[in-house]
Amino acid sequence: MTEADGTTGSDAPTTTGDAGGLPADEVELLEAFERLAPAGSFRWGFDDAMRRLSSPDERGTWVEPWDGLPADLWDRGRGAKASERMLGDVIAVLAQELTEYSQRIVDDVRRTVPTDTAVFDALRYLAARVERLEAAADPLGIRPADLALPAPDASAWVEALPAWLGAVDGRPVVVGELGDRSVLEAVVGTGADVDAVDPRAALSWTVRDAAPGRPGQVRATVGDVVEHLAGLPAGSRSAVVLSGCVDRSSLDGKATLVTAAARALESGGALVLLVTDQAAWDADLEPPVRDLLPGRPFHADTWAVVLAHLGLEDPEVHLAERGSVHAVVARRPR
Amino acid sequence: MTGPAPAGGGGAGGGRLPGIHLFVPMLHRRDAVGEHTRVLRGLLVAAGVPSTIYTELPDPDTVDETRPFRDYEHDAVAGDVLVYQVATRSDMTRWLAKRPEPVVLNYHSLTPAVFFAPWNNGIARMQEAAARDLADLAPRCALGIGVSDFDVAELRAAGCPSTRVVPVVNVPLPPVEPDPAALAALARRTAAGGPWWLSVGRLAPNKAHQETIAALFVARATTAPDAHLTIVGGPTEPHYAAALRRYAADLGLSGAVEFTTRLSPGELAARYATADVLVMLSEHEGFGVPLVEAMSQGLPVVAYDAGAVAEIVGDAGVLLDRKGPRAVAAAVAALLDDPDRRHALVAAGRARLGALGLEHAGSDLVRALREVAAGA
Repeated sequence: MTEADGTTGSDAPTTTGDAGGLPADEVELLEAFERLAPAGSFRWGFDDAMRRLSSPDERGTWVEPWDGLPADLWDRGRGAKASERMLGDVIAVLAQELTEYSQRIVDDVRRTVPTDTAVFDALRYLAARVERLEAAADPLGIRPADLALPAPDASAWVEALPAWLGAVDGRPVVVGELGDRSVLEAVVGTGADVDAVDPRAALSWTVRDAAPGRPGQVRATVGDVVEHLAGLPAGSRSAVVLSGCVDRSSLDGKATLVTAAARALESGGALVLLVTDQAAWDADLEPPVRDLLPGRPFHADTWAVVLAHLGLEDPEVHLAERGSVHAVVARRPR
Repeated sequence: MTGPAPAGGGGAGGGRLPGIHLFVPMLHRRDAVGEHTRVLRGLLVAAGVPSTIYTELPDPDTVDETRPFRDYEHDAVAGDVLVYQVATRSDMTRWLAKRPEPVVLNYHSLTPAVFFAPWNNGIARMQEAAARDLADLAPRCALGIGVSDFDVAELRAAGCPSTRVVPVVNVPLPPVEPDPAALAALARRTAAGGPWWLSVGRLAPNKAHQETIAALFVARATTAPDAHLTIVGGPTEPHYAAALRRYAADLGLSGAVEFTTRLSPGELAARYATADVLVMLSEHEGFGVPLVEAMSQGLPVVAYDAGAVAEIVGDAGVLLDRKGPRAVAAAVAALLDDPDRRHALVAAGRARLGALGLEHAGSDLVRALREVAAGA
């Protein structure tokens, strides 16, 4: 059975509000909820306002706020790192604020000044500044995670790895990026409690396959390795094993990464870097991938210098006898 | 290649039987699409049809049940049929469009982006992209299966050349027994005052839970000062979910509106068993599983006539063509004040379940898929 709007009670007011015919007090009640929405749907609001500002034909009326969404924005945002997303959100809120204030200004000006070109020029200038800020945060919209980057094959070192890690049975060990899974399996084999960190969402499948039947031994974190390491208590991990991220990071990124790893190590704890040979990197990667990544691998000897500079003891360089991944091992002083 | 061995045994496609494999962006528990997919796979396997669930992303809760969808490229067997559970945007859509196997769209309704636009541009963009992807894939699908006429109309509009209606297969029949402990606790609570309204559905803007809260506010101010509302649902959109709590608090309803989620089937059944009415004011429903759950648990329904709601409820509930807070409160009060009408609706609801064909939905769906496989 279908019922029409039953506004027939004795308490129903006679005045009506919106086009739907709801009484004004009901409209007010529902609008109280709409005011709890966040600072608006930021991008379309901004883009739409700017489009109207730059199109003389549309200055006379405010168009409906919903006008579709830029097709590529979702794709651009998917692989963004948390820090970049946060920056994007801040910019978006700024843009929305700017748009809202601009609307108020233009409304006021329209009421009082017949010719408002100067106002629009000023707003366009502000818009351009914001767009430049957005572009600085995301110049190309291409993320490392979107590139076809093969996982380093570190399987040559799985037999040596337990000795480098030392007695870690039941101790916490970080494996930063899981590559071809062989390193994770080797660390799992030591009996360590493993923090497995990888930006790829498929991490859960990798962990499942690397540690079958041992639930709880491996804790999976989908995310940025350096952010994960930076969030760990100092001296809380018995070993850290890094691959992948050590190769493609920028110089700043490399420094931040190994500094965070060294900080997380307990006294005597081992830092193991599995680094791709530069010649293999150049030969194996497609040119666009090579060009668009923020960095390229250090030589293993360079890593030894960096680790010593950070105060880690006796860096050892193990050059690959097979495969294209070298190993660099150092320890935090006791 | 990762994950459990593909259904059908053997390896790398060699020696395996053709199957009907299910593709879903993520497989979640306690989620309508996820449970539908898991039940469907069980039905296929029980019917002797090899079936594996492939996903774009793993959910840690179900990772042991799924494989990465690109692994299917290694698992493919001539004669396979691929069934895509359409509910949101996924990279799988474009990949499926290029596969040579017959693709069946099992459509669960795409929530239009406009509902999310004021709350979350990311989700809004995703829904827009999903609609575009559906329009790309639909014209080449072998069959489009909607869970309601409403959904099938959307499939046809997207370009599906062949369509069929088969209801959801994850509604437990007979209904789940209420959890005794939860039932006892809720019974004590409802005995202390009422009536208790129930609203079940994700905390997503298209569900319009705020309008139920507003109606409760009016009811408490007029006819039912002790009325309470339980909203069962996880937060799809965090800002919206937070705003609902804030709205209830701003209206002085913090003690009258309960938000809860992650209930077991028995705990959810206890909510239905102890509530006085299900209020559903959703703006966009492709099926409305809570409507069916309410009817099967003997709970009368007051719902807004949108999407597939009228198609599912029929004459077994109070349907509103407008839903101002005062109208909703009045409709609920009128229903609760009329025991004969309430009993008539409950009886009509139980009869309605049979008319929906839910008992045969599983076998109907498997038969439809096998017909596609036979023609492959």
